[in-house]
Amino acid sequence: MQIDRNVEKDVVVTSVTGRLDSSSSHKLDEYLAVIPPDSRALLLDFAGLTYISSAGLRVVLKATKLARSAGVALAVCGLSPQVHEVFDVSGFSTLIPIHPDRAAALVALA
Amino acid sequence: MIAEIDIRLSNQLSELDRVVEELEAFLEEAEVPTRARFNINLAVDEFVSNAINYGYPDGRAGEIDIHLARRDDRLAMTLRDDGDAFDPFTAPEPDLDASIEDRRIGGLGVHLVRKLADEFSYRREGERNVVSLTLKFAPDAT
Repeated sequence: MQIDRNVEKDVVVTSVTGRLDSSSSHKLDEYLAVIPPDSRALLLDFAGLTYISSAGLRVVLKATKLARSAGVALAVCGLSPQVHEVFDVSGFSTLIPIHPDRAAALVALA
Repeated sequence: MIAEIDIRLSNQLSELDRVVEELEAFLEEAEVPTRARFNINLAVDEFVSNAINYGYPDGRAGEIDIHLARRDDRLAMTLRDDGDAFDPFTAPEPDLDASIEDRRIGGLGVHLVRKLADEFSYRREGERNVVSLTLKFAPDAT
């Protein structure tokens, strides 16, 4: 599992590639545990995510709670159909804004 | 077409990578469609992790066995572990309508698997937890 981070238009974009499961989710947890100062918004780009388990969902929820309490917007983009279904079934689709791709997300977060 | 596999592991988290490899190889060989592949990964991940993390609080060595069979329009899995009794039907459901602040971090995994599986059952057999589930798909789905 690979994590890359960059900043686009004041949005901190964290891209995750590969599997987010019990073995790998703690790595993302560490990344998301601290919100970079002066962040306007956070975007989790899951275009390269092939699989997410409940462990991965927990990390996403934790990050969402942290962002909310810090007054920073958080959104996700690039969900595959299977990952989107998991978001739907777990009720995350109503909690976290989902965008089809990074470009659309950045427009929405502007 | 019927394809079957047995995957055995001891109750160590370090076994998970090998289990995923064997599972993926089987799913590929048996030409299981994408959605079912994803969902069976979820089920294996969830139940195996739970068994290893919570099933043996006294630290004893344990054995977990996964049997998978693909028939034309379904994938059936039986997962057996010799950990302490755990009935997934008694696990509390997450509150899907709660706000971000009120959503609990835990409780999702079993809920996900129960919702995504077409059939799901649990029984306690002697010293073993036995979880059985079925995922159905169209025979020519990809």
